[in-house]
Order: sequence, then structure tokens, then C-alpha cells
Amino acid sequence: MNRLRLKIVGASGTGLLSTGDILTNALSDLGFYAVSDREFPSLIKGGHSSYSLNLSPDPVYALSSGADIMIALDKNGMETYKDELKDGGILVHAYERFGGIKALMEEFESRGVEVVSAPGRKTVAELGGNNLMVNVLLVGMVWKLLGYDYGLVEQAIKEKFASKPKLLEMDLIVLKHGFDLVETKVDFPVPEGNTVRRFINGNRAITLGAIHAGCRAYYAYPMSPASSVLTYMAELQPKTKMIVKQAEDEITAAQLVIGSMYMGTRAMTATSGGGFDLMTESVSLVGMIETPFVAVIAQRPGPATGLPTWTGQGDYQMAKYSGHGEYARLVMAVSNAQDSFELIQHAFNYAEVYQIPVIVLTEKQIAESLWTVDDFEEGAIPIQRGLVTGAELESIESNDRYRITEDGVSKRWIPGSSSAYYFANGDEHLEDGTLTEDAEPSKQMIAKRIRKADTLRDALPEPDLYGEASADISFIGWGSSRNVMMDTIAKFKAEGKSVNYLHYSYLFPLKTDVLEQFMKDNKNVHLIEGNYTGQFGQDIEARGHKFAGKLLKWNGRPIYVEEVSEYINQNL
Amino acid sequence: MSLPLLNNLVKHKDRITELETENVITWCSGCGNFGILNAVMHALAIEEVGVKDAVLCFDVGCNGNASHNINAYTIHGLHGRVLSLAAGAKIANPDKKVIAFAGDGATFSEGVNHLVHSVRNNFPFVFIFHNNENYGLTTGQPSSTTKCGAKMNSAPEGVTAAPLNPLQFVLSLGPSFVARTYSGNITHMTETIQAAMNHKGFAFVEVLQACPTYNRETPDEWYAERVRDVKDLEDYDNTDIWAARRIVEDLDEKFYMGVLYKNEMLADFMSLQPNREGRKPLVDEVEPMSIDGMY
Repeated sequence: MNRLRLKIVGASGTGLLSTGDILTNALSDLGFYAVSDREFPSLIKGGHSSYSLNLSPDPVYALSSGADIMIALDKNGMETYKDELKDGGILVHAYERFGGIKALMEEFESRGVEVVSAPGRKTVAELGGNNLMVNVLLVGMVWKLLGYDYGLVEQAIKEKFASKPKLLEMDLIVLKHGFDLVETKVDFPVPEGNTVRRFINGNRAITLGAIHAGCRAYYAYPMSPASSVLTYMAELQPKTKMIVKQAEDEITAAQLVIGSMYMGTRAMTATSGGGFDLMTESVSLVGMIETPFVAVIAQRPGPATGLPTWTGQGDYQMAKYSGHGEYARLVMAVSNAQDSFELIQHAFNYAEVYQIPVIVLTEKQIAESLWTVDDFEEGAIPIQRGLVTGAELESIESNDRYRITEDGVSKRWIPGSSSAYYFANGDEHLEDGTLTEDAEPSKQMIAKRIRKADTLRDALPEPDLYGEASADISFIGWGSSRNVMMDTIAKFKAEGKSVNYLHYSYLFPLKTDVLEQFMKDNKNVHLIEGNYTGQFGQDIEARGHKFAGKLLKWNGRPIYVEEVSEYINQNL
Repeated sequence: MSLPLLNNLVKHKDRITELETENVITWCSGCGNFGILNAVMHALAIEEVGVKDAVLCFDVGCNGNASHNINAYTIHGLHGRVLSLAAGAKIANPDKKVIAFAGDGATFSEGVNHLVHSVRNNFPFVFIFHNNENYGLTTGQPSSTTKCGAKMNSAPEGVTAAPLNPLQFVLSLGPSFVARTYSGNITHMTETIQAAMNHKGFAFVEVLQACPTYNRETPDEWYAERVRDVKDLEDYDNTDIWAARRIVEDLDEKFYMGVLYKNEMLADFMSLQPNREGRKPLVDEVEPMSIDGMY
């Protein structure tokens, strides 16, 4: 695949993110498809960070490892990430104590790296700017290297610093100076058609999906990498008129959601694994009183605090088994911005229609990666509430609320909408919610609630197949694996090799028809997952299937296209 | 019983009957919960809060077993969490009266953080705090309000940690409404709960509750001798938080009952939501929202 890989490196707090944002915004107007992600440690200043951006004229979903162009904001960044710059690549930096990087420069030279540099602080000072503007100088230099329209990067700078008009004037001088310092060295033409696309991350897409689905209250406690959902919800509050409330802890957030959902509105929360651990007793209550519940888990590697700002898929089984007792639930997983917007809408529908907890898994690399998307389609997923409304509210009776039914689903109505009151009882109960400890009704009621899982399974969509029905090598996975597999399939197709991939957005309860056919049609099936134990693969193995191999990664980093390619070449 | 209250009860007797269930009540003989449940029914009836108008939220404990002993929309949640649950319900539909119930174990041990933040946020609902000074449903372990030295299940040699003073604690948080009443006086409970129901903000009502089975330190008679009505206190100003803090300090001799403190100037959570002004309740707003302009 034709892609250009940019990587900005430097210490946290050196303006790495804003540099990335400026470049990204400028580039998104050129009509490229793009994906970006950032790596950073859990601290505010210092430590090594990077911002990766891949561009392509064709759809691109996952990041490639390595870089064609590296933009170094400091010496440490150069040292830490030097091996990721390809031999023959371009290094752009503004470090001026050349003596201190002599050995480093010699190493780059020996690898054929072209170094483009300017003495940053000195140059900016001569222009009358301050040290923070060195990044703007670098942006100007990079933009010229790429040879794109100056007006776009100028506009991006204007938008970024709109609130600081005094500095903006100087920023523009510095930008132009950087632009004029260097020559164009990259030939990566702008795609024809010049479609301007949105650039959006997974958490923003989940936020917009929830808002579109009529979510009216958002409750959360800050925890990386879910925190930005709270930020976005709060920022959009003047438009949405929602209640957005930071709770005193995750238990509270879960309880607020339950209270609001029980009352008949749509509410949700998002957290990471540790926060969800605290919510699990509440999830169990939801299972018992059959109140809808939607929680997003933005995964990062555990156990405990683990790797708080890194990525992984280690919480599937935690979600699947969370909460004591036996009851129906749905565990689903998003992959990118587009399906984050869509799946969260489905999550509300399933939660309400089946009166179950729905747990939506995302990952740090999805939550914070940016993708180019076309405007999301509105109204494509109608709201389904499963509520009794209208004249039927007059005829229902209290016993309808937890009526033992064949499919396990009983009627639900908004408290106060009918004179048929009911007890939403966390104790075992009869059909109107009256507490019981008798053996027979308990047995029936427990079975009724669990039967909803079978009803739900029938209603869920089958997994998605990418590539041909039969291939030389096959993969099964979920979450972010879809991104890397889609890029991989395209790459190998271009090389004349067949790779296919079965992707699960709905993980539990497990859909099996397409799976069984896939296992019949393919003889070299591998698991791809971002954890050590192959958690989701175990559900497939439990059906008697064996994987030819497993591509597993658990070090907090995404699975890169190159890693899958290498794995395929070893197993083909 | 005062004559006006009696008249009110007679006038609303059908409403009271409607609230009564035939479900078996499982409390011990002499339990303070009987009186509290009756007072709640009386207050709802007199305030003419119908079955469609209220949601009652119960914690886990002896009090929680009332969740099916009153004909109303009720929710019986987890131990310690009822305040957050009730807040979520109230936020979703502020048109409904929300009353939450929890004991001393739930309120001052398992879920004390929720109490702190419910007061801070001034969530507009009534909280009836059943203080029977022990964990009754789990057969008499000490709570954080059990008297020092009391011999309890799990503390057979006597409780060593000093008890918390619940009202002193709540008053320290800057509440908007603090009242105290006593399970042996249904009239006083009814009137106090009515006052709480008419308060716009978080209304904290402590009920000194008899537990004839496990609380031998402070039985019904012990309270009966010690409770006083704050109305009988000359010049008591229940808008003076320091006056309130002075009279709640005593947990041995004189227990003052009634509305001990209120601050009607304190805005409640809902009125501090500028985006919600003049809007329908959240329960009536679930519909597709365009995300145009939100990218």
C-alpha cells in the first residue's frame, strides 16, 4: 500500500500533540485517508512521547510501524526512536548544539538518512519569537519538504492559535521562515478529487454516537483512556442539553446510570478496566432488576494500574464474567471511529430491548487514534426502546413487569407511566417484584433471566468476513485487530496472496453459524488478539476448534501491519 | 397526635389504604421499621403523592425489606449505594418525588462517600436515615454508630472504636436540610417527613430507630426518655448552623428532634444546570439528536 509514515518524537509537554494536531489538520484538508495515534507515558511533563501519522490516497485503517519522516522535537526523542526511522528516511530537527548529537548524526548518515535541520532557538530568537515557537518552525520545514500548498498549513496555524492573536502574528512569521528554509524532497502526490474528510478519534465517535442515540445523561469518573469521553460530553453540553456529571467514583457513576435508566431515560458511563472492576456489583444488580445499562470499557493493560497510557485487549473475559450470579448480558467491541459511532447506538437498543447490561469494549489505540471519516450517517440506526407505551399502559398489570416468558423478555414501562407499579427488587422476586425465597419461583425467575441470552444471540448479527470465503491463511479477532487485518488483506492481495479475516463486533453471546462455515472453508486459521491468553479465542476453542497458531501481543503497543505480515510469511 | 394531623389522616384514609400491601412483613416484633413505614405512608397520603408520582429507593438492610411492603414504584438496590441510585432516578425525572432509605451501616460505612457527595451536590430528594446503631439483618454486628463498649456480634468483648456522630458529620458538609425524628413517635415522623418532602434540595432525616433484638444499649425506652422536640427550645433558630451543631453534639442525654437546620438559599443540583432550564425531564427527551456541528 502506498502510504507515507510521519512520526513526531520528543518529551511529553514539549508541544508534541499540538504539533501533531497542526500537521494533521492541514493534511486532512488534502483529501488523504489518514490514521494517527500517540504514545505517551502517564505523566504530564518529560518522558518520551511520539505521535504517528500514516497517510494514503487509499483507505487506511491501522498504523504501520516505523517512519519515513521523523520530526524530532528534542535530542532524547531522536535517541529513543532512532531505530524506527527507516534507512534512507528523512530526519527533521531543530536541535542546535550539534556537538552533542555528533555520534547520532553519524549513525543516521551511515543509514542513508537525510537530515534536515535548523538551529531552532537561535533562528526563532532572531525572528523575535520565543522558544515555544520552535515547533512552528519545524512544521514550516516539514510542510515544505512535503511540497503541499502553503495556504493549508497557514490556515491550520491560524485555527490553532486563534485565541492568541498577539502570538499568532509571530507564529506565522516563524512558519513562513521554516517553510522557506528547506527544499521539497518528498514526492507523495495529493489524491485526485480532493475530498475533505473529518478527522476524528474513537472516543469522540462514541460520544457522538451516544448523543445521536438519544443518550441524555453521562456519568463518569476520570480514568485513562476513557476520560476524553467525559471531556467531550461536557464540552458539547451546551448543544446537547444533556446532564453530564463527574461522579465521586465509578460505583457512583454506575449507580447514577442505573437510576436514570430505571427511570426511563438513556444514560451511560465509560471507564477503564480498574474502574469497571468497581462497577461490577452494579452490573449484577442490573442483571437482577432487568434495567438497561450501557458501559464502555476503554482497555489498557493491567493488572492494577498496569500501563495506564498504553493499549491492549485484556479485559474481554473480565467483561464477560463481571458481576456475581448468572444472567444475560452483551459484550461488544468497537474497532475504529466509524464503528464506534454505530455500535454505541446498537448498544443502547440491545440494552433497552433485552433489559440487560451491555458492555462496549474499546482500546486505548481506538479511543485516541484519529481516522479520516466521511460525515457519519444520521438516522441509519433507529432507536428501539422496548417500552410499553400508549393505551397498553392502561391494561398492563404489575405482574407483567417480570412475567415469566418463553423468550425471557418481559414488559418494561417507565415508572409513573402506568398505575401498575412494580418493585425493581435486587432480592429474588416474583413477577411483580415481590421478594421471594421460595425454591420454585426462584428457579423459574433465574432461568427466565438467563433465557434472554439465547433470545439475544438469535437477534445478534453474525461476524463480518473480510477477504474471500477461503484463503491460504485466515484470522479470527475483534476490536482493533480489524484495522490491521484490513490493511494486511489489501497488502497481500496486491502481492497475489490470499488472507481472510473473521471479525467479531458482538463477542458474547457468541454467534456460531458463520464461524462454523469459516472453520470448514479454511484450514489454516489463526487467532489475533492483544492479550497473553487469547481470551476470545478460548470461546472458539471451547466449541472444539483448534487454531493453527496465535498472534498475540500484550506489551501495550498496537499490533502493526509489519508484524502481521511477518507472522503470515512464517505461517503460510 | 395533633388534631390537624388526625384530621388530615382521616381525610386521606383511602390513600393510606391504597398504599398498604398484603405482602408478609418480616421485621421482628417491636421493630422501629413498622412505625417508619406507617409514617412514610401517612406523609405520602397527606401530601397527596399518588402511585404515579413517586419512586422509593431502598438500600439493603432491614429497612430495605420494606421495598415490597408499600404499593409504589420501588427499587431495591445494592448495600450502601442507594443515594447514588436515587440521584440518578431524580436527575432523569425531577417531576417525581424520590425518597431514599438506608441504615447506619450503609450510610456511614459501605457508602459514606455517596453521603458526602449527595450533600455537596444537594440532590433534591428525601433521604430517610434509619439509625438503629447496628447491622440488624446480619444479626447484630456493630456499626459506626454503635456505642463504645457495646457487646455485639463480631465484637463480643465490646466495641472499641468510638461512634460517629451522624448529624455532626452531615452538618459539617454544609447541607440544606437536616432533621431528626424517632421511630416511637409516628406523628413526629410523619410531620418531619412531610417537611423533608417539601424541601427543595437534599433532605437528610435521621430516624432514631429502635432495634429490640440487637440494640440493647439504646432500646426504645432509652430513647423515649431522652427525645425532645426542638420546638420546645426557646429561641432556637434552625437557620443557624452553629446552633444546630451545638445541640446535635449530645448523644447521651438530650436528643433534639424536628427540623434542626435548613438553608433554603442553597441551590439544589437541578437548578444549577443552566442547560436544563425550562426543559422537559430527561425521560421525555430520548430521541435521535443531530450531531451536526459537533464533530
